[in-house]
Amino acid sequence: MAKSTRPMVRIHNIETNEIIDREMNDDEFSQYEADQLSLAAKKAEAEAKAVEKQAILDRIGLTADELKMILG
Amino acid sequence: MPTTTNYGWTTPADTDLVKDGASAIRTLGTAIDTTVFNNAGAAIAKTIVDAKGDIIAATAADTVARLAVGTNDQVLTADSSTATGLKWAAPAAGGMTLLSTTSLTGSSVTVSGISQSYIDLYLVVEDLYTSNDQEDVNFRFNADSNANRHAAIATMSASNSTAFAATSVRWFYGVSNNSSYKKMGITTIQNYANTTNLKFAMFHSSGINAYNTANTTANFFQGVYSQASAISSFELFPNTGNFSGGTVKVYGVK
Repeated sequence: MAKSTRPMVRIHNIETNEIIDREMNDDEFSQYEADQLSLAAKKAEAEAKAVEKQAILDRIGLTADELKMILG
Repeated sequence: MPTTTNYGWTTPADTDLVKDGASAIRTLGTAIDTTVFNNAGAAIAKTIVDAKGDIIAATAADTVARLAVGTNDQVLTADSSTATGLKWAAPAAGGMTLLSTTSLTGSSVTVSGISQSYIDLYLVVEDLYTSNDQEDVNFRFNADSNANRHAAIATMSASNSTAFAATSVRWFYGVSNNSSYKKMGITTIQNYANTTNLKFAMFHSSGINAYNTANTTANFFQGVYSQASAISSFELFPNTGNFSGGTVKVYGVK
């Protein structure tokens, strides 16, 4: 049996109760790779914002919890 | 002449003469015959029912008829328009019906073939954890990965400046790869089967915070799908890696 090289997907048709577990096909794998890039970019953006947020907190000398307490 | 207690049949007295005994017995026999015959005519014959589940119902005073058994999951319902005043029918509006339970495995799970017979969909994810730590798990309406059809808003009163710019919405934030820190979530897709309106869903999740396992966390995301299509499927997938555990249940709500 050939070793799986692509991520596995599960498709459950609840009308027929058929469950298919298989490797991603070409279209799904292309979308998966595009998703990985997009989500990685969003994660990098979120991390950059977190760094910027921490820099601001450091400048004003507060922790995130202290700021939350002040803001109520 | 004395008579029996219940039906008043005439019986010979203890002191009657023998020559009158035969006549008394004949009178008694006739009375018994008449009573039994009348009672048999008033009884409900078992041949009135023809199959398992058939019931007997009145169509008028002192009149009965067979009501054939309904189909699976139907309930007995009053209906004055039918001969018996009864019918078998689907349960009345209201309540939740579990449509499916799917174990989460692999890099994505698609649930399809969702019945269009309900008003809202209610989804519950339980015991979720992933192969990679601090993962997000995302939701796609109709498993639709076309660009610019999904939008997500992270708070109750926020707006999103880049409207439909996504291929999915985030449901879970910071899912752990530790089975001791499973998460759960719920979402409701209201009026999911209509084909005229955009689709909205409110995604709630809670559990141990994978970024700080000393804390619990609760997250709320509002997801919007730009298509008017009825929702007949959805896809769940972590940002990276696979599902390590969990289930998603789909309920139809009327």
